[in-house]
Amino acid sequence: MKFDVVIVGAGPAGLAAAYKLASAGFKVVVLERGREPGAKELYGGRIYAYWLDRYLPEFRKDAPVDRWVRRECVSFLTEDKALTVETVVVEKERTSFVVPLVSFVSWMAKLAQNAGAKIVTEITVDRLVKDEKGKIVGVQSGPDVLQADYVIDAEGVNRLLLERAGIVKKLEPELVAVGVKEVLKFENKKTLEERLGLDEDEGLAWALAGYPTEYLPGGGFIYTYKDALALGVVVYLRNWEKLKTPVYDLVEKLRLHPYIAPLVKGASLQEYGGHMTPVAGINMSPPRFYHDGLLIVGDAAGFLLHTGVLIRGVDFAVVSGVLAAEAIKEARSPSAEDLAVYKKKLRGSFILPQLEKFRNADRLLSDESLFRDLVLFSTEAAYRYFNIDENHRTLFEAVHEASKKTRISLVKLMINMIKMVRNL
Amino acid sequence: MSLKYFTIEERLNANAWDVDVHRPHIKIVDPEQCRKCEKKPCTFMCPAKCYVQQGDYVVLSTEACVECGTCRVVCPHGAIEWNYPRSGMGIWYRFT
Repeated sequence: MKFDVVIVGAGPAGLAAAYKLASAGFKVVVLERGREPGAKELYGGRIYAYWLDRYLPEFRKDAPVDRWVRRECVSFLTEDKALTVETVVVEKERTSFVVPLVSFVSWMAKLAQNAGAKIVTEITVDRLVKDEKGKIVGVQSGPDVLQADYVIDAEGVNRLLLERAGIVKKLEPELVAVGVKEVLKFENKKTLEERLGLDEDEGLAWALAGYPTEYLPGGGFIYTYKDALALGVVVYLRNWEKLKTPVYDLVEKLRLHPYIAPLVKGASLQEYGGHMTPVAGINMSPPRFYHDGLLIVGDAAGFLLHTGVLIRGVDFAVVSGVLAAEAIKEARSPSAEDLAVYKKKLRGSFILPQLEKFRNADRLLSDESLFRDLVLFSTEAAYRYFNIDENHRTLFEAVHEASKKTRISLVKLMINMIKMVRNL
Repeated sequence: MSLKYFTIEERLNANAWDVDVHRPHIKIVDPEQCRKCEKKPCTFMCPAKCYVQQGDYVVLSTEACVECGTCRVVCPHGAIEWNYPRSGMGIWYRFT
């Protein structure tokens, strides 16, 4: 059996490509190793809508949405203090939403199937098949080879197939972080809404720095599903030696932190998981996104933007899938020369320009003192300002005392702040 | 506020799996490397605690693996062979 296009991986990137190609009349098959699309996927919890509106506007009609994010929180958290900034959109804006990724992906799978794409689950692809000239001509699963004119690699962050094909080097710890996540389910959605002060269908996205990662690069996160809450911790692999707690216990420590525990009391654990995430942005990308017979999309291509607080994976994945489909539609042949149009499209879209723009974010975010200093200093300064004893401090005094107590120089802090403001 | 701490075993019990008992998808290719490995990052960085130190060696059990791939990346000796589990096997995320 021969297909026009074989897509490896039924995630947001692979399915977007499948939907667009099938809609244009291509004979498309998506191979997914999990039991259903999304079975092997795990993310923080939020999808940004702006680019979906332009590239996959169908989602407004009937994609599942648990809650639209209208409250954004960032906390600096220590053992015994927290400083939280919250920004709230009172108007009913719909710019980003929280939903289990598996639900969103299963909606995308239906969309692609209705357009004529074939999705086959429980098929693990072992390698990309090359012809004698090195052109990718299909994929192999066990003893079976499936040929196609075009292969789209949407295998995700581990990208074993690309590595085996000699297209990328082995993943280095500097390029990725591991996220560990608990889904905590409440008896009813009312409890969740009361605890977090949320309106019906209103969602919360919350990033926490400091304590969750023992002040190392990375952070904690909370997102609100309909009647459950996603709680997780992301740790950069390059810093693992400095951790004192094994990664599997960090998320529990965060759940039991006195600032978090009251919010999740009584919630039961629905699922526990871990997944790697690209943190190096464009620096993780393969040397080329197109090869003879092959296009690379989504996490496997390093298309995830990580700026500390804002993390965008799904919108990048979907749009890269759409652009790969457009490239195949326009290419006269599967040669790398003809498929170079994909790179042009990535440049012309937001994907490469925005990844380029934040090229230095990774280097800054992996600086071990950056968050540690900022978190320890600012929580201490806030505490001293608000705490009245024999002395009622001016802001200036609070800041100076905090600097002395934490032994963090104000000059160094200022320099770091300027770096952050410019690069994140 | 006293909430109960969930052990990693209790947490993993919340998940759905289909374990490939015949062909584990991860293998330690050279246990000697593990014996010589001073820091054993796999025992610290695996979210499912699949790697446990026993004496100087590392014992791997893949049943509860969440398939993140971290072990392969943090292993300083390239001693871990990591494959995607066979068709449909392994973790089945339903709510994340």
